[in-house]
Amino acid sequence: MSETYDFLFKFLVIGSAGTGKSCLLHQFIENKFKQDSNHTIGVEFGSRVVNVGGKTVKLQIWDTAGQERFRSVTRSYYRGAAGALLVYDITSRETYNALTNWLTDARTLASPNIVIILCGNKKDLDADREVTFLEASRFAQENELMFLETSALTGENVEEGFLKCARTILNKIDSGELDPERMGSGIQYGDASLRQLRQPRGSTAQNKQQCSC
Amino acid sequence: MAELSALTTSGPAPGDPRAAPSIPPSSPPLPAPNVSAPESPGENSIAKSSLCNDNAADTPAARSASLMSGTLESLSGLGDDGSSIGSDSEINGLTVRRTDRYGFLGGSQYSDSSEKETRVEVARQREVKWLDMFRHWDKWIKHRFQKVKLRCRKGIPSSLRSRAWQLLSNSQELLEANPGKFEELEREPGEAKWLDIIEKDLHRQFPFHEMFAARGGHGQQDLFRILKAYTIYRPDEGYCQAQAPVAAVLLMHMPAEQAFWCLVQICEKYLPGYYSAGLEAIQLDGEIFFSLLRRTCPMAYRHLKKFKIDPILYMTEWFMCIFSRTLPWACVLRVWDMFFCEGVKIVFRVGLVLLKQMLGSVDKLREVQGMYETMERLRNISPDSIREEVLVQEIIMLPVTEALIERECTVQVRKWRESRGELTHQPGRRLHGTRAVYECKRRAAAISSGGSFSFLGSSVPPPGPLRKNPPLSGHQVSAPASPAPTRRERFSISLFFACLFLFYFLFFFLFAESNSRGWKVAAPESAQTKRR
Repeated sequence: MSETYDFLFKFLVIGSAGTGKSCLLHQFIENKFKQDSNHTIGVEFGSRVVNVGGKTVKLQIWDTAGQERFRSVTRSYYRGAAGALLVYDITSRETYNALTNWLTDARTLASPNIVIILCGNKKDLDADREVTFLEASRFAQENELMFLETSALTGENVEEGFLKCARTILNKIDSGELDPERMGSGIQYGDASLRQLRQPRGSTAQNKQQCSC
Repeated sequence: MAELSALTTSGPAPGDPRAAPSIPPSSPPLPAPNVSAPESPGENSIAKSSLCNDNAADTPAARSASLMSGTLESLSGLGDDGSSIGSDSEINGLTVRRTDRYGFLGGSQYSDSSEKETRVEVARQREVKWLDMFRHWDKWIKHRFQKVKLRCRKGIPSSLRSRAWQLLSNSQELLEANPGKFEELEREPGEAKWLDIIEKDLHRQFPFHEMFAARGGHGQQDLFRILKAYTIYRPDEGYCQAQAPVAAVLLMHMPAEQAFWCLVQICEKYLPGYYSAGLEAIQLDGEIFFSLLRRTCPMAYRHLKKFKIDPILYMTEWFMCIFSRTLPWACVLRVWDMFFCEGVKIVFRVGLVLLKQMLGSVDKLREVQGMYETMERLRNISPDSIREEVLVQEIIMLPVTEALIERECTVQVRKWRESRGELTHQPGRRLHGTRAVYECKRRAAAISSGGSFSFLGSSVPPPGPLRKNPPLSGHQVSAPASPAPTRRERFSISLFFACLFLFYFLFFFLFAESNSRGWKVAAPESAQTKRR
């Protein structure tokens, strides 16, 4: 609570079991590969303050269990997420095939405007690859996702993934496409000062709220 | 995968000398485990990773060899890799690895050696007492259960823990009643969808324990065997990721077959529905837990409510893994000792005590003003903050009884039905510990040998793996122990019926007699009146 930031975004990390979701999160937060990782049961959390385009943004990241069985529990926490990392394992076609389901879940339960980046993880295991870059990037295009291949082991593209997602959200806020004041946007202002700067939009929103009360 | 399953069915048993030659004697010694207690969870995790990272992190081969390395050759192939640590001590015990006394090589659950140990004389006395109980186990459970409970609360001697857990859960009898069943299950190929996910989890269970440190080592092989066997034993349940740590803890104490039946008892008697699809049981218990928290620690309750932190967010892992991933190891074992004896009540109590410790005072709450701050605190319980004796004492003292849990369960089931509709999970199936398991067993035995009066026990579902439970009714929730007749009761009932029969006959006979006599008497009377 003590650190200052301009925005706070709620992020999700979703995808099938064993794709490396927790390792991606650990790599992003600790800059290390998590050798002794346990599988996630339920939900885990992580947060980090990053600098994106001159603004400080606190990312609060919800890392979910991948097994189908836990979805009934984790789905209830999708609500109000601003961004998501949708993770599959490039060495497992099965995890790639499951993407459509995860995508539908995220769009219907979180918000239709949720900014999603597709991450093909375990890029370091290129020899065992089952899903080509081209195929996945085509899928990403068709479904309006951003796309990166990442490696939680080496750290390649991990930070990029999170930052790219955050940057897109910031751009959408600037262009007015996303309204941080709207309930369930997954975005909060960090500072009162920033709210002052954004007085026009902020005040109208406040007025609206007062009216509705 | 085929490679692994083939190996596990024909592979050497733990301790088999055949396994020894595959380990190169020159494998590098383990970096000294971080004995100094970490100061914060953050540092802790860094210390954890640095233990293995030096050797392993920069070799992609370490990971590529991870999942499918079920062969002994691959064990030797990983000789240069940090991930093969522990295999030496597991096999020949010559190489000195510094494990703690529970077999941990490092990690957050590594126990400091400064820990207070029970005095030798005390330990020996306890062993004698336990051995005596083992000799007359059924009698102890039937007549002196309070004493058994007390001894479980004091902690089961580690040398006898394996046997005690099996007796407490009644899994030993299940094993004896099903000879060859485990091998039979092992011979089945199993469903690919379960095997794939089990294999992904094998190297993720207590990677710092010497038994599970080696990729494809004995610990991981056995883990695969019992988890796979369970998916075949209960195809409708399959595999739930939270079963793996539970199975691993069991394997640290007993051979695979015994561990399997113990797992079966946990999944079916102690925590039914916890690992089933839909996870209704754990969500329901979350609601029960939250409601109990309101009684036991209103301050923590209000705080969690204020920040909209649902119980499912922090208690899922606690309950499903029976705290095996949460507490210092000495505490895990004490909790499990009590859990096997007293059932899920202990799990509720541990959770409540933890919340009380972490969120039970104004000072503590001041540090965690916010949802994420609170969650961070709850997800990373510092092992230093938990003292074994204090924890156990508080668990014992907490006034949360089976009856209270059952009452709360009835309330929550009603609420669930009102807000979310019908439940497929049947909370009435849960048995609260050893006593209830034995009662259930006695009833089942009474039914099977019931003969003409077996209809009296018809309210109890028949035992056995394929039993289908009747749809849940309110009365079943509130009174899971609807008493069915024991042998003695059946005897008295039959005696009662026999007496009834006897009386009936006697009555009939007397009545007939008196009637006939009546006629005889009446006849002369009527004759007399006629004469008059």
